[in-house]
Amino acid sequence: MLGDLLPNLDVIVTIVLRGTAVGALFAIVAMSFNIVHNAAGIFNFAQGSIFLLGAFGAFVLADRAGFGLWLPMLVLVALAVGALTALQGWITLLPLRSSVEQDSWLISTVAVSVIIAASLTLAFGSQGNMVQGPLPRYTIIGVRTPGAFLLAIGAMFAWYVALRWFLRRTFTGLAISALSQDFDAARAAGIPVRRLQLLAFGVSGVVAGSVGFMVAPMISVSPDAGLRYVLNGFVAAVVGGIGNNTGTLIGGPLVGVIAALTAFYVGGAYQDLASLLVLVLILMFLPQGLFGRAAARKV
Amino acid sequence: MAAAVLPGPAADRPLRGSFNSDRQQVAIGTCLILLTGLAPSLLGNSYWEHAFQLVNIYIAVAVLQNLLFVDAGQKSFGQGAILGLGAYGLAIASGLNGMPLAAGLLAGVLAAAAGGLLFAMPALRVQGFHLGFVTMSAAIVFPQLLNQLDWFTRGLNGISMTIPALQTRPFAGISWLTLLVTAVPVVALLAHYALRQAPLGRRMRIAAESPEAARSLGIRPGIMRSLAFVLASVGTGICGLLYVPAVGFISPQGFLIELSFVFFFAVVVGGRGQLLGPIVGIWIVFILPTVFLVKLVEYKPLVYGLMTLAVVILFPDGVVGTFETWRRRRRQGGGGERGFRLEAVTRLFSALPDVPSADVGAAPVLTVRGATKRFGQVVALDGVDFDVRPGEIHGLVGANGSGKTSLLNVISGLSRLDAGRYQLRGRDMTRLAAAAIAEQGLGRTFQTPRVFQSYSVWNNLQMGLDARPAAPDPALAAALAALRDDHAEDSPSLLSHGQRRILEVVRVVLKDPSIVLFDEPAAGLSSVEREEFAALVRQLARKLGKAVVLVEHDLDLVWGIADRITVLETGRVVASGAPADLARDPAVQHLFVGGAHA
Amino acid sequence: MLEVDSLTAGYGDIPVVRGITLAAKAGEILLIGGENGAGKSTLLRAIAGFNRPSGGRVLLEGRDVTGMAPERLAQAGLRLVLDNHRVFPELTVFDNLRMGVAARADRSGFGRSLEEIYAVFPILKERTSQRARDLSGGQQQILALGQAFIAQPKVLLCDEPSMGVAQMLLPPILAFLRNWARSGTAVVIVEQHLTITRPYTDRAMIVRRGEVALSCPSAELDARLAELHEARTQAYARG
Repeated sequence: MLGDLLPNLDVIVTIVLRGTAVGALFAIVAMSFNIVHNAAGIFNFAQGSIFLLGAFGAFVLADRAGFGLWLPMLVLVALAVGALTALQGWITLLPLRSSVEQDSWLISTVAVSVIIAASLTLAFGSQGNMVQGPLPRYTIIGVRTPGAFLLAIGAMFAWYVALRWFLRRTFTGLAISALSQDFDAARAAGIPVRRLQLLAFGVSGVVAGSVGFMVAPMISVSPDAGLRYVLNGFVAAVVGGIGNNTGTLIGGPLVGVIAALTAFYVGGAYQDLASLLVLVLILMFLPQGLFGRAAARKV
Repeated sequence: MAAAVLPGPAADRPLRGSFNSDRQQVAIGTCLILLTGLAPSLLGNSYWEHAFQLVNIYIAVAVLQNLLFVDAGQKSFGQGAILGLGAYGLAIASGLNGMPLAAGLLAGVLAAAAGGLLFAMPALRVQGFHLGFVTMSAAIVFPQLLNQLDWFTRGLNGISMTIPALQTRPFAGISWLTLLVTAVPVVALLAHYALRQAPLGRRMRIAAESPEAARSLGIRPGIMRSLAFVLASVGTGICGLLYVPAVGFISPQGFLIELSFVFFFAVVVGGRGQLLGPIVGIWIVFILPTVFLVKLVEYKPLVYGLMTLAVVILFPDGVVGTFETWRRRRRQGGGGERGFRLEAVTRLFSALPDVPSADVGAAPVLTVRGATKRFGQVVALDGVDFDVRPGEIHGLVGANGSGKTSLLNVISGLSRLDAGRYQLRGRDMTRLAAAAIAEQGLGRTFQTPRVFQSYSVWNNLQMGLDARPAAPDPALAAALAALRDDHAEDSPSLLSHGQRRILEVVRVVLKDPSIVLFDEPAAGLSSVEREEFAALVRQLARKLGKAVVLVEHDLDLVWGIADRITVLETGRVVASGAPADLARDPAVQHLFVGGAHA
Repeated sequence: MLEVDSLTAGYGDIPVVRGITLAAKAGEILLIGGENGAGKSTLLRAIAGFNRPSGGRVLLEGRDVTGMAPERLAQAGLRLVLDNHRVFPELTVFDNLRMGVAARADRSGFGRSLEEIYAVFPILKERTSQRARDLSGGQQQILALGQAFIAQPKVLLCDEPSMGVAQMLLPPILAFLRNWARSGTAVVIVEQHLTITRPYTDRAMIVRRGEVALSCPSAELDARLAELHEARTQAYARG
């Protein structure tokens, strides 16, 4: 009996690798949530669709133009998605300037998410698309692993380090951090609040869009897939403690591995249900996330 | 022409519109639903008959979403899933498993109610975007589950089910189904209206807009939230039951997250909180694209997404709400110098005999012993003893951070003591929650008056009466009737800050507590308003025998009306006594500007 | 430098400040005193753009800046140092000082101003790479002032600089403000502890219930206050 439940090494490695790779994407979406949340106090419900925009960028450009131009196209797509997200931020922040209604962003970001998904459906149809990646498969502990998996995990760490450097070393990044630590003191110091909030939106778009582009080969590039990433990315952010990028490094892969385990033992279609259960349990019992008070400290 | 500008007799009592147009909106809404629901059958147009059967079911769901969203303050992106639970409950029980119709109906309602409870559970702990994500996730997962559990739900194949009895047409070509489906949104609309007029509706709204004010009136916000979810879900489940015969076929594709978005967006586009909003909203969000984009179905989500975004940015009040705002601006009543007149009540109070003055021998109504409260390293309260007697006005003063607010929070139950005891009217309150303490006879006001703009001035006072343990005596009832006549249609947004403060005080008095806590009541009051407030507080103590705790920075006011003053410093009581005795007490001098020189 | 003309302001529609008029001249320190809740902090916050005044005007160098956003006012040279020694807790001391540049007209002078502030408060230099949250309250106050100094504002508004600061640290802080004012900055200090602050200031004003109760040269403040206080305690003691 027990023997049936305990899989062999190959399966374990597969689950962990796949879970970590998919979880890395959740971590990326969670980081892009955090950037905007820390700077503007807003949770961008459209972040999953924005991530997907990057993947569609890969579908449109990289697949046809060949891999010689992969890198410049990555940069191009990331910047384009970043600019779009900054535009979204501008629209989202418009009503907050004067209105008493301070949570209109909840509605407008959901609306933007619907708009992006609908536009993608119109342009590309509702079916999933396959995208080729530049990397071959590698063999890791006897398991053939798509290159995109490694790219995903690598991107998570790369963006984590890059964001940490940006937020702790550059003047602009420090100013964004200052905004999240003491909003009034930041304004008193003359830090240009609105401009930095838009920049935070833009950066979150660059992060999500670039990774969407890179990992397009390992995901189903279909317009409605954005919801999956927004949901799991949020779970990853909550598990790691909202606002805490370091927490996402654990939260993302954890959610990913739980999803992979669910897929293996119960069935692929139950992955989102598992994430929902994790979300509800965490919110009910550990609303500060796994890392408790550490979550209050923002990166 | 100039004469028209001069204030005529009419200006003394300007022409006033009603405070809101809820009643008119219900009437218009009912007419619209009846018209669209019944006319196609009367005209024999089966396309529109079918179309409006579905539209009216959706309207009913949107009405409930409106109630949940605005009256109860719960943002749910998952009402489509609740609708699906109702529909699937019926279809699985009766359509697939041949159970009697009654059992199927019950199964549908129970399934929807269970879904509502599932949403309510996290809503007890979290709010705002957290809850948005949870409900949205549930709406994403719901169709996935329906697909996956195909042995139970038939998965993508869906379930066909008709209820032939409902297809018979008893009157003028109108079927039972049409009648039912027309009745449901009308009932939902009337129920929403009735709820707003009822104490329960006010309690939900208070809990949504100011949980701490709710607790101070003995309302438990968690229960209100859960109740709202269950009410809305049961209603939505009933809509789900009707969905089955109206469409004749259900499948997971009918309950994708887009459906939940349609309900949510309809409420926003129509106008959040407007009774007519969901009807207009569903027409715009659902019908317009269906009619005009009939060949371009895939444009639908894009259109309603863009419409919603445009509404949020350009007309945040929505279609109906924009009209209502415009109507109010032209015709709202109330405000002005005497925007809130409480002579009726004060006259009543002054006619009462004096209660015996607070003598030292009287048993304290409030006793605090050794109260200690720590926040990490900081000791906010350090063994505080504090007594208040009936009919006594007790001033509580101290510098910022001296522990006044901490003591107030402990007494009102918003935070708990680490050590020490606290009794109210002889009963131990140390471990009780705020709402329970409020029920035991404690009332309080807040630094910013909790006045609810969505209710008229009179409704705001009624919130106190809702929390009153016993019915008011005839004299008070008569005075209240006068107040109601004056202020039933007045808008609190026209009141000055001072008038709002007085309004809040009167609300607390109507709750009939034995002790009232005032948290910095004089801040922002003009000198006239300060006098009015002081007179009211004196009446509370002298005529009604209430114990009053006054936390206040305005030392003139405290020394002017207090019978006893307690001074706190770094969490300890450093002096306590009669005002005249304390005036030269060294422990008080640091509070006076220039006092340190003396 | 700064002129405030019958300013009325508050939170939401609660009028806490009622028609206050004041002026701060370059090179001078104006002391604003008053009891808890008298409206001193609200006055400063309204001048600095944190709450929109419902009446009156704020002029900076003769230019009407009423209701301008705080970050823009800071960039225009009006710098508020909030009460409770507010710094950015997770940033290092150096980075906190660096944030001062956000409101500085010429960024090139940062190094020079940094050296100056390090010279006055060597503790900042010693702790330059520590996080601000690990500093004591007094050190955080010095850091907050240092950040404002880096910005080189024309007008400095200082809300309760003594709050949470050890007594022995106050004289150097006040002396620093005195010297700063001498260099041509208009300084406004809101303070409850008048005794220790008064000698460093030029003019004084007492706010009561959101209105000006008393305005005089600082040298006369003690006498005027004593009169006021005696009258009041007598009234209180009579009951």
